[in-house]
Amino acid sequence: MTIPRDDAPEMIVPALDAEPPVVERVGKGFPWGKVISYVVLSLFALLYLAPLFMLVNASFKPLSEFFRDPIGLASGINFDNYTKAWELANFPRYLLNSAIYTAIATAVFVFTTLFVAFPISRGIIKGGGAILTLYVVALFLPPALIPQFQLILNLGLYNTRVGYIMLFLVNAIGMIIVVNYIKSIPKELDESAAVDGCGYFRFVWSIVLPLIRPAIATVTVLHAIGIWNELILPTIYLTNSDLYPITRGLIVFQGQYGSDWPALASAVLMLMLPMLVLFMFLQRYIIGGLTSGAVKG
Amino acid sequence: MRRMKWLALVAALALVFAACGGDDDTGGSDTTGAGGEPGTTAAAGEPVTLRVLIHSQEPMTTWVQDFSTQFESDNPGVTVDVAVVGAGDLATVTQTRLSANDVDVIDMFGFANPVQDYMGGATPPAWQTLIDAGLLLDITDEPWVANYDTASIEQAGTFNGRVYSVNLGRTVYGGMFVNNDLLASVGVEVPTTWSELVSVCDAVKAAGNQCMTNGGQDGWPVFVGTYGMLGALFPDQAGLVEALYTGEMTWDDPAMADWWDRTKVYAQDMLEPGTTGLAHDAATFRYAAGDVAFLPTGAWQAPNLEGDGGATFDWTYVPFPGSDDAADNQNLFGKYDQGWAIAANSPNVEVAKAYVAAFSDPDTYQEFVTTTGFIPTQATATLDTKLGQALAPYLENFQVGFEQYWVQPAGAGQWANGSQAASWFVPFNEWDDAAALATQAQADLQAALDELQ
Amino acid sequence: MAISLVKKNYLFGQGRKRWVPWLLLLPGFGLYLLIAVGPSLATAVYSFTDASGVRGAPVNWIGFENYDEFLFRGLASRDNLAALQRTLIFMVVVTTVQFGLGLVLALLLNQKLRGRTFFRTLFFIPVILGVVIQGLMWQLFLYPAGGPVAEVFGWFGIQSEFLGGAPTEAFIWVMVVQIWANVGITMMIFLAGMQTIDETLYEAARIDGAGGWNLFKNITWPQLTPAINTNFLLNVIGSLQAWQLFLVLIGYRPGTQVLGYLVFAEGFGQTTGSVSAAFRQGYAAAASIVLFFLVLVLGMSANWIVQRRERKYLG
Repeated sequence: MTIPRDDAPEMIVPALDAEPPVVERVGKGFPWGKVISYVVLSLFALLYLAPLFMLVNASFKPLSEFFRDPIGLASGINFDNYTKAWELANFPRYLLNSAIYTAIATAVFVFTTLFVAFPISRGIIKGGGAILTLYVVALFLPPALIPQFQLILNLGLYNTRVGYIMLFLVNAIGMIIVVNYIKSIPKELDESAAVDGCGYFRFVWSIVLPLIRPAIATVTVLHAIGIWNELILPTIYLTNSDLYPITRGLIVFQGQYGSDWPALASAVLMLMLPMLVLFMFLQRYIIGGLTSGAVKG
Repeated sequence: MRRMKWLALVAALALVFAACGGDDDTGGSDTTGAGGEPGTTAAAGEPVTLRVLIHSQEPMTTWVQDFSTQFESDNPGVTVDVAVVGAGDLATVTQTRLSANDVDVIDMFGFANPVQDYMGGATPPAWQTLIDAGLLLDITDEPWVANYDTASIEQAGTFNGRVYSVNLGRTVYGGMFVNNDLLASVGVEVPTTWSELVSVCDAVKAAGNQCMTNGGQDGWPVFVGTYGMLGALFPDQAGLVEALYTGEMTWDDPAMADWWDRTKVYAQDMLEPGTTGLAHDAATFRYAAGDVAFLPTGAWQAPNLEGDGGATFDWTYVPFPGSDDAADNQNLFGKYDQGWAIAANSPNVEVAKAYVAAFSDPDTYQEFVTTTGFIPTQATATLDTKLGQALAPYLENFQVGFEQYWVQPAGAGQWANGSQAASWFVPFNEWDDAAALATQAQADLQAALDELQ
Repeated sequence: MAISLVKKNYLFGQGRKRWVPWLLLLPGFGLYLLIAVGPSLATAVYSFTDASGVRGAPVNWIGFENYDEFLFRGLASRDNLAALQRTLIFMVVVTTVQFGLGLVLALLLNQKLRGRTFFRTLFFIPVILGVVIQGLMWQLFLYPAGGPVAEVFGWFGIQSEFLGGAPTEAFIWVMVVQIWANVGITMMIFLAGMQTIDETLYEAARIDGAGGWNLFKNITWPQLTPAINTNFLLNVIGSLQAWQLFLVLIGYRPGTQVLGYLVFAEGFGQTTGSVSAAFRQGYAAAASIVLFFLVLVLGMSANWIVQRRERKYLG
C-alpha cells in the first residue's frame, strides 16, 4: 500500500494568541438565546461539579458514616482521612515521577520530531514520502505491547526510568501535524536563508521552529496528556514503587485500600490539588497549545 | 514577547518540579535508573537487597513487612525490598519480573490447576510455564521443606516429582460467616440444609434485616461462597471436572438442576440489593454493621471482622449448606493460598533460602498463622483464633474446591465454567432463566470439547 | 559523484553537508523504527507462535493456529467476535456523541457569556486528572447502594446496578464516562477553529438576512473543516484504542471486553482475575493483529472522508 505523502490530513493553523472577537449571535430584545445557553451549560456543568462535590463530601466522612449514608452531607469537617491517606502512600514522589516522565519524554519527542518532519515536509530527502507513509500507517497500529516488552527487557531497561521514558519518544499523529504545518511556511524562506549562508541545523532550529510554534505547542500538549494519563505501561514496566507515576500509584493504592472510600477520596483530592494549580498556571499554554496547531487550513 | 512566554513556561515548570521535589524525602533528583536495577550481584559480606514480591491481602501484607524488617535486623547487610501488588496484577508482575530476573522470592498464588492427561492440549497455568522455563528454583532438598505437612507439599508445591514451592496455609472459601446474635434475635437456628437456609433468609428479611451481602463489584466474591454448594452437591470435585471433560456429566444434566436453581435463588433472593457496588473488602465492612445475617465468602476475611471497626456481634463460620442432606454440608471447601517460591536465576539464592527458612521456623510460622487466620500447613502449628474455633469441627473435612481443578479448554465460551453461575444471574449479569443458562453453559463447554477430539 | 540521499532541491550546502538532514533525522526516525515499527512487525511474527512471554519457555511455530482459534474455534470465537463488535460500537457511539456534544458546547461557549472561561476550564478538567481519577470519581458517583445517581434514578423508579450489573449497562456507562472525560478536548479544538473564522463573513451574511441555522450551515461548518477533521481523526483513533477506562471501571468481566483489553489480559495473565492465569502472548499478538486490520480499514475510511471534505470545502 502506498500513500502519497500529500494524502495526510491537513490540520493546520496559525497562532491563536489573543482571544479573537466573540461572535454575537443574539438579536435585540430579551436574550432568550443566552438564557438557554446558560441553562444548558449549567446542567452540563452539574455533571462535572457533582462528582467533584461527592468526592469532597466523602473525604470528610468517617468510614462507618460513609457506609450508612454515602451521599448525605458530612456531619463535620474532619481531616483524619487526609492524614491517613498521606501516611499510607508516597504521593509527592508519584507526582514528581509523572512530571519527570512527561517533561523529558515530551522534550525529546518534540526535538527529534522537528528534524524528521522538516525534510519530509519539504521533500528534500529521497524516500521522504515512504517515511511519511510509514507514519500514517502507524497511526492505526495497536500498541505492540508484547514485543515492546521483550525489547525493553533485552535492552536491560526494564524497571528503569530510562526504559519507561523510551516508550514515549514517538507519536505518529504528532509527527503528521508538524509535517502538515511546515507546509504552510513559504519555501522562499529556505531560499533566502540558504543565500544568506545559513546552515541546515541553524535554519531549522532558529528560523523554522519559532514559525511553527503553534503546531509544536499542539503536539507537545497532546503528547504530554497521553503520558500523564498512561496506566497500562507502568503496570508492565515499573515494579519499583519508587518509580511509579501517579496513575499507577493511585491504582495500587486503590487495590490496597479500595474499600476505604473516604481515604481514597482524600488521596484523590490531595493529588488533584497540585494538578489543578499547575493547570491553572499553565492553562493559557495548554489550551492555546491544544488548539492552535490543530485547527486551521 | 513570545519568547518571553516560553521562558516563563519553562521557568514555571522548573518551579513546580522544585516545589514537588521539596516534598520528596529522599532528595529525589535521581532521574535515571536509580531504582531496581536488575541483577545486582552481591558477594558474601557485601550489602544485599533481597527482592520479595507478595500480593496485597491484609493482614498478611503487614505481617510480611514486619517479618522482613526483623529479618533485616537479624541479618546485617541485608535489605529486604517487599513489593506489594494487587492480587489481579500478581500474575502479570510475576511474569515480567521473573523474565527480567528482577525478583528473588515470589508469592506463588494459586499453585493449582495442573493440566491433566484428559484435558488434551489445554494451556498450562502460569506457574507451570514458569517451571518449564526453568525460572523457579528446585527446593526439594531444602531441610525446611520438611516443616510443612506432606499433603500441602504434594498438592500445592510439587510438579513432576520436584518441589518448587512451600505453601503457607489453606484457606476456606466454600462457606459463610453467620451473625449469631442476629439469628438469635430473629429466633432461628444456624441453617444446616438448603431448605433451612431458604426459610431462615425469609425469617431474617421478614424481621427487617438482610439475609446476605457480598462484594459484587469484584465479580468473584459473588460465586466464591457457592463453591461450597457445588461441593455439597458433588463431593468429588476432581472427579466432577474429569466427568465434565469426558462427557459423563454435563452442565445441563438433570442432576445439575439443583445447582442452577439454587445459585439463582442465592443471587437474586438471598443477596441484598446494591451488592454490585461493593468491593470485596467493603462487603466485610458492610457486614460488620450487624444487620445482615450471612456473608458467604472466604474465611480469610475473619481478621477484618475481629479488628478495629470489626463486628460487635458474635459470629461463626459454617460450610455453605448447599445440599438438602445435612451430612453433605460438612465439608469445608477451599484452596491452598500463598506459597513461597525462589527465583532460580536469583543472584541472592542463599539469602533467599535463608529468608524462606526463617519464615518456616515453627515459632515464626505459628505467629503468621495466628495473624492471618490461615489454616496451618505445618503440623505443629494451630489456629487458635475465633475463626480457628469456628472451623475446628470441620477441619478434618477440608477439601480442595472446584476452581483448583478446573482448566478452561481452548475454544470454550465465556459461560463454560458453570461453577461461576451465581455471578451470571441478574443483577450481576443478564441471565434470568436457570435452565437456559445451564443449556448455554454446556454448549459453551461442548464447543471446545468437540475440538479436542 | 557520491551517493546522494537528498534531492536536487536541497539548498543547504554541497558534498558532505548534504548528509546533514539525514543525520538529524536519524535519531527520531531510528527511535520510531525501534519502538513502534519494529515491535509492530514483531507482533505479526509472534502471532504465528505459541509464545508465552516467559523468558526461557519454549516457543513453537504454529502457523495460523492462533488466528484460527481466535476467529473460529468453539464458542470462544463468539465471545471474541462480540468483543470486536463492541469495539466498533464503542468507536461509533463515542466518536459521534463526543463530536456532537463538543460542537454544541463550543458553539455555546463561543458567545459573549459571563463565566465562559469557568465553563471551558471545568469541561477540560477531567483530561488533566487522568483515567484513574476519572474512574474513581465515577465509581463513587455511580455507587449503586445510595449513591447520587442511584438516588436520582430512584425518583423516577429506575433501578440500576450501573458498573457492576448487566454487561450492556456497564458498557453504556463506560461510554458515558469516556465521553465525559474527553469531550473537553473536542470542544477546545472546535472553539479554536471558530475563533479563527473571519467575523466579517458573518456580518456580510447577516446583511443578506441570513439567520442562525444558515449562518452555521454556510459559514461556521465549512470554515471549521480543519477542526472537524482533527476531531474526527482524534476521536476515531482514540476511541478504538481506548480501553483503560474498562480496566479501571469494571475489570475483565464476561460481556464487556473490548479488543484492546483482551490483548492485554491474554498476554499478561489477567483473564481470570488472579488464580493460575495463563500467559498467552502469541495468541494475544494474533488478536492485536486482527485489531490492527480493523483499525486500519476504519482509520483509512475516516481519512478518506476527511480528504473528500477538504476537497469539497477547501478546493
